[in-house]
Amino acid sequence: MIRKRLLRLQERDTRRVFAVVLGGKMIGVLALLGAIKGITWYFEGAAWALPTEPAHTANELINPINTMWVLVTAFLVFFMQAGFMALEAGFARSRETVNILLECVFDTCLCGLLFWAIGFAFMFGEGNGIIGHQYFFLHGIGGGYGSTGVAFMAFFLFQFAFADTASTITSGAMVGRTGFKGDILYSVCVSGFIYPIFGHWVWGPGGWLGNTMGWFHGLTGDAVFRDFAGSTVVHTVGGFVALAGAIALGPRLGRKFKRDGGGPTPPHDLTMASIGAVILWFGWYGFNPGSTLSAMDWTGIGRVAGNTTLAACAGGMIAVLFVYPRSKKWDLGMSLNGFLGGLVAITAPCYWVSPMGAILIGGIAGIVVPLGVDLLEHIRVDDPIGAFPVHGMCGIWGTLAVGLFATGQFGLPTADGADPSVAVKGLFYGGGADQLTAQAIGSLSAIVCVGAVGLIIMFAIKSIRGSWSLRVSRDGELEGIDIHEHGTPAYHVEFGQGMTYSTPAGLSSGGFGSSTQSPVPPVKTPEPA
Amino acid sequence: MPHLITAIIKPFKLEEVKEALRAEGLVGLTVSEVQGYGRQGGKTETFRGSEYKVDFVPKVKIEVVTADDQVDKVVDLIASTARTGKIGDGKVWAFDLSRLMRIRTGELGEDAI
Repeated sequence: MIRKRLLRLQERDTRRVFAVVLGGKMIGVLALLGAIKGITWYFEGAAWALPTEPAHTANELINPINTMWVLVTAFLVFFMQAGFMALEAGFARSRETVNILLECVFDTCLCGLLFWAIGFAFMFGEGNGIIGHQYFFLHGIGGGYGSTGVAFMAFFLFQFAFADTASTITSGAMVGRTGFKGDILYSVCVSGFIYPIFGHWVWGPGGWLGNTMGWFHGLTGDAVFRDFAGSTVVHTVGGFVALAGAIALGPRLGRKFKRDGGGPTPPHDLTMASIGAVILWFGWYGFNPGSTLSAMDWTGIGRVAGNTTLAACAGGMIAVLFVYPRSKKWDLGMSLNGFLGGLVAITAPCYWVSPMGAILIGGIAGIVVPLGVDLLEHIRVDDPIGAFPVHGMCGIWGTLAVGLFATGQFGLPTADGADPSVAVKGLFYGGGADQLTAQAIGSLSAIVCVGAVGLIIMFAIKSIRGSWSLRVSRDGELEGIDIHEHGTPAYHVEFGQGMTYSTPAGLSSGGFGSSTQSPVPPVKTPEPA
Repeated sequence: MPHLITAIIKPFKLEEVKEALRAEGLVGLTVSEVQGYGRQGGKTETFRGSEYKVDFVPKVKIEVVTADDQVDKVVDLIASTARTGKIGDGKVWAFDLSRLMRIRTGELGEDAI
């Protein structure tokens, strides 16, 4: 028996099987060793260890409290995704609902992993004025980020939620005709490169806009570009990539513009859109007040939250009143976009302005939004949910508003509270035009650079042949993007069970009679023979 | 021969028409939500400050089966009840039913009404 088995070793096939098995095992061992080496490399850089000494004194509670504040506001900013989903889906047609929902979900997942791998490194890593290159894959992170006094991962989470917001804004103007593969491609560009790199210019260590003003150093005196929570970094960037996408895509099939005798496609669910918009407003209480990155600046976060609210109120109301004389209708959709515009506008200046300033900033945003909607209609750009007027145009307005309305009373936010030694003072408060010039340079750099890169990327993706193109196939769009790309419509109404008619109370004159007995006896059908 | 009367009316008139038909002793009525346009040619609504056209206006279609001797009366009744005098009041028409059966019993013709 044994001899027989040994003899089989002489067979060519058996020896080949042995060689394959042995080779496979060697490769497996090598892969395992490599993985162990890689994981050790990865983890040895991370300071996961907690301080061994328990924090008892008041001073040692500052960082935990700041971390709590940043985490709570990060959760609020993250929840804005729900708002975007509901707002965009509600403003769009029912046939493109699933597409919008999955784009928001998929972009969030994609953005989280990209921001971990490269985005955070580009944005917040040490580097030069243009780009950071530290913390790739979060390698080498410490217990706390820089001088912020918050846990590193809490800071990362907060910044991821911001990046995700910028990424989702983009999808809003491209609803209904963007192929899903094309969506993945441009989302990688936005969350992995455009947003983090521009963000580094403003918020990153050594970024040229936020620290030195680079080539424009001589033009702005001591003032540098100030964007407290991202009117430019998040909203102008998101809005202009969105505009580039909408231009590259062209309008949805069958969308006719006002000049051509058409009009907007009606929203399919204004209940959902309204709830989504209010969720966004709620999420903004994380977006703006959280950007202090410190709860020690308690007068700051109170001021920011209050200013945020006042700007939203003014924006929502002015937008409605602005549109009423034209259409003689109290316009819900414009009201929603109006207060969102007010929120976008107050995002940059919220730390440095007075309550009255916040109201003026929000109110003017309430006029910018309807004019922006009209402008897009006039230049035949199909933006179904108004992403560009709200985020792009109000982002520019809010950024400039810092240079107009900053009171000079409040300095820079730091981990321990406001630092009043560096004043941020606008034109209307006797600060001269320096701050306004710095704001204009920052805003223009976003418009020019992001706009140009956005157009190049969008047209490049559109020119891809086949299914990875930016625009879904004509057949797919006619079939309905939900069915074509995702295999299901958003709403299945059971046939015959969908709607019932009920008599309004007080109108009915009584029942049809209590008897269910038929007056006619059934006719006997003859038994089959 | 039984007749089928079909009417397209304004949705808010459905309640009045139903009550009028019941008061007249008619025991069956089928309604459906329909959309269409007539001489009015659709209508406009507004969203975010811009008008858009609704080509097909929502209406209610009612169908009622009557005996030969009731047709004129019922058509007049529906017309007078559903009339507002403004554009978009709809239409009512009737035609002969060559075959009518109550499914449960198998009764035929006017017995099946």
